[in-house]
Amino acid sequence: MEELSVVGKSVIRKDALDKVLGKTRYSADIKMPGMLYVKVLRSTVPHALVQKIDVTVAKALAGVAAVLTADDVPGLNGHGIIIKDEPVLVKDKIRKIGDPLAVVAAETEEIAIQALKHIVVELEELPAVFDAVEAMQDDSPKVHGKSNILAVRKIFKGEIDEAFAAADIVVENVYYTQMQEHSYIEPEAGIAYMDGNQVVIKASTQNTHFDCREVARNLGVPQSRIRMIQAPTGGGFGGKLDVSVQIYLALLAMKTRKPVRLVYSREESIIASTKRHPCRIRYRTAADKQGKLLAVDVEAIADTGAYASYGPAPVTRLAVHATGPYEVPNVRIYAYTVYTNNPTAGAMRGFGVPQAAFAYEQQMDMIAERVGISPLAVRMINSLKKGSKMATGQMIPSGPGISSTLLPAYDKAIQTKALAGYEPSVKKRGYGLGCMFFGVGNTGQPNPAGAFLDLLDDGSANLMVGAADIGQGSNTILAQIVAEELGMDFEDVQVTSADTGVTPDGGATSASRQTYISGNATLLAAKEVKQLLLAEAAALFGVAQDKIVLKNRQVMVVGQESKDGISIKQLITVCRSKGKMTLGHGWFNPSTTALDDETGQGEPYEAYSFGSQVVEVEVDTETGVVEVLNLYAAHDVGQAINPLHVQAQIEGGSIMGLGYGLYEDMKKVEGKIKTSSFATYLIPTSLDIPSIQAIIVEDKADTGPFGAKGLGETSLVPTAAAIANAVYDAVGIRIKSLPITPEKVLRALEETR
Amino acid sequence: MEEKMKIKFLLNKKNIEVEVLPNRRLIDFLRDDLDLIGTKLGCGEGDCGACTVIINGKTANSCLVLAPQVDGKEVITIEGLGDYDKLDSLQQAFIDEGAVQCGFCTPGMLLSAKTLLDENPKPSREEIMRSMSGNLCRCTGYVKIANAIEKVANANN
Repeated sequence: MEELSVVGKSVIRKDALDKVLGKTRYSADIKMPGMLYVKVLRSTVPHALVQKIDVTVAKALAGVAAVLTADDVPGLNGHGIIIKDEPVLVKDKIRKIGDPLAVVAAETEEIAIQALKHIVVELEELPAVFDAVEAMQDDSPKVHGKSNILAVRKIFKGEIDEAFAAADIVVENVYYTQMQEHSYIEPEAGIAYMDGNQVVIKASTQNTHFDCREVARNLGVPQSRIRMIQAPTGGGFGGKLDVSVQIYLALLAMKTRKPVRLVYSREESIIASTKRHPCRIRYRTAADKQGKLLAVDVEAIADTGAYASYGPAPVTRLAVHATGPYEVPNVRIYAYTVYTNNPTAGAMRGFGVPQAAFAYEQQMDMIAERVGISPLAVRMINSLKKGSKMATGQMIPSGPGISSTLLPAYDKAIQTKALAGYEPSVKKRGYGLGCMFFGVGNTGQPNPAGAFLDLLDDGSANLMVGAADIGQGSNTILAQIVAEELGMDFEDVQVTSADTGVTPDGGATSASRQTYISGNATLLAAKEVKQLLLAEAAALFGVAQDKIVLKNRQVMVVGQESKDGISIKQLITVCRSKGKMTLGHGWFNPSTTALDDETGQGEPYEAYSFGSQVVEVEVDTETGVVEVLNLYAAHDVGQAINPLHVQAQIEGGSIMGLGYGLYEDMKKVEGKIKTSSFATYLIPTSLDIPSIQAIIVEDKADTGPFGAKGLGETSLVPTAAAIANAVYDAVGIRIKSLPITPEKVLRALEETR
Repeated sequence: MEEKMKIKFLLNKKNIEVEVLPNRRLIDFLRDDLDLIGTKLGCGEGDCGACTVIINGKTANSCLVLAPQVDGKEVITIEGLGDYDKLDSLQQAFIDEGAVQCGFCTPGMLLSAKTLLDENPKPSREEIMRSMSGNLCRCTGYVKIANAIEKVANANN
């Protein structure tokens, strides 16, 4: 393999300089002359019929430019990623607290707030349902239509009942996971204005082309009349995949013909945005005397709240990954996506898999204990690896499975343990393992991305990609791919991303897919340009094309590297002299097949990332407080395009997983969020983090750009599960509901005494 | 309407003399009136630290400070820490150590770090962690940020 020049190097991020100087203009930092301020009137009840919304007084207030209700939506009054079940503005039925009823644009923020107070809403409250299991009953209040069961994902493989009948060991438990908030530090915001007959929207988002399609449908105009541009985005983690401010802004820009801006407060962000699905998972595992898995039988019930959002997709991903990274010959999985009058659950980093991991990894430890083997051994003997079949019947396409990550993480933990002096006291220490696998890209669905590349006269290049860089660094990674392929310097490549007026569709920044899918699209665009250059150079030097190499901005003939060649810039000049442009484009769609509706069989992903974490915890048996002391996180990324930022993703993801495991809990009473601030919803601070060792493993994927796979979500997936296992190792209690709070630990310790 | 108050203060080494409403938050004054948008509004309740500025050598959440409260004081925002032609060593270290992801917490983090190192040029890792505890970051897990601060501290004599 040729040595890489730019890929695999920790080059400096393209956006870092402006960010450290405070110069980056996020949505809330954009101002325009004559700009109006927008506010949204939201429901304070969870379920009601709207009888009347009277905006007469609000409209007449001095300084109010427009007040819009459902009647002012010219196109479809519905949006949503999977189905359009969420109203832009509620016409007749409120389904959750926070549902939008009216929007106001005014000359100042204060006037807009005053106007909201003058809107009169008459409604008739309805009985509501806040528990997903209750919601599945025939006599429960219905959120939409005749049933609250939005979707059921079934996966069947082998002969489940026979396998359980023949099993030596059966372990059965019920696990509960909580609602988690993304907690990006930048609340949702955006600005919109008219440019001729085009509505231009700049907003904090993870998917501009999706936003554009939504807005065009709601406005009843062609998509080309909407130009959706991603403003620098202060984190997303799945919570900025649904539209937030975009449709309101577009409606009001069109209505007022003035620039309009909407910035959510933290509280509005928490109330209005989606969350991670709370789940109840009943998990039954069968194994033989040696600890080899024979069967799993899973029923997962996920509360998707009032609207579908991405709902059925993370629940499907939960089902597909419910076995964990293990080979299980007999599988029966039912995963229900259920409507309630709770806040909407949608996409969040990990997309259903952290919930599954919390269950399957504790099951693995319990089986190991019953058999009398170690947690390490039970995982190694059951690991999926190249050629083994997962629950959907797909053969794992490459790699040794979890062993390449589990062993280094475990070794590091053992080395540290040997060095640490530790005297048990009221504080007891323990170790826990958590393993995972994760399919890259959307589940059994087409999810292409495109790229345009324009190699300029002087040898620099403009790359245009739809992929939204929300802080994870895709602009940097994709520039590295171009520079590597064309023998350019990293600095030569400028990236314009996520602008529907300029870039092709990149799909969502979700599903850990941009490095892999937009990366492949970018590589194809670079290859197209390279082909033009090679053909020209081959003619120039009178050699075959495969004898030409582009490296360090130079064009060289293989075997004559020492000779004076020409620069890439000179080669471009040759092209130009013949009237030839050096443009490339590429698009890539991973090869998958849809899951069968009845059996769940299919090939949902083209590539799989594996990972393993080992945590050391200390449990205070007097207070119940669990502290994570050490976290060893080994993740297989195929090829680290930028190792420093791969580490940073591993660190950030596992700390988000630590928050999921120990602290974070979006508490709600009858659909009303009780933790709508960072004072009440606790995410990890710098004082909560353990010593972390991020270990990069590279089992290349033949199908990935330079072998790269996805990484964004993987490091969050196993952390909470590993912590739960470590707590058991330390004090012998099994906590089967998240988060693992001191109260739960103390109660469990009490029960064992 | 309430009467405006005249205030004088030093902002990023420059004298400022303005009239502001008594209930005007410092963050709004900085962002809306002066276009110093590096100070970020993340929560408005003093929980996240994205709006951190330095007032008389101490960090403060500018969402919890009223503009008249800085009368007679010295205020430093991220725009006063460095510029394109002269980065502060902390800014350079944040870039080099991979401490920047989405960037929304970055200005506040930098100003907390600056205050720490001004007071204590050789902090321990634990002191660094404690100094950052009022600044929430959701992207990095704090590791690379702490590494960057430590790097600058280690270079201090």
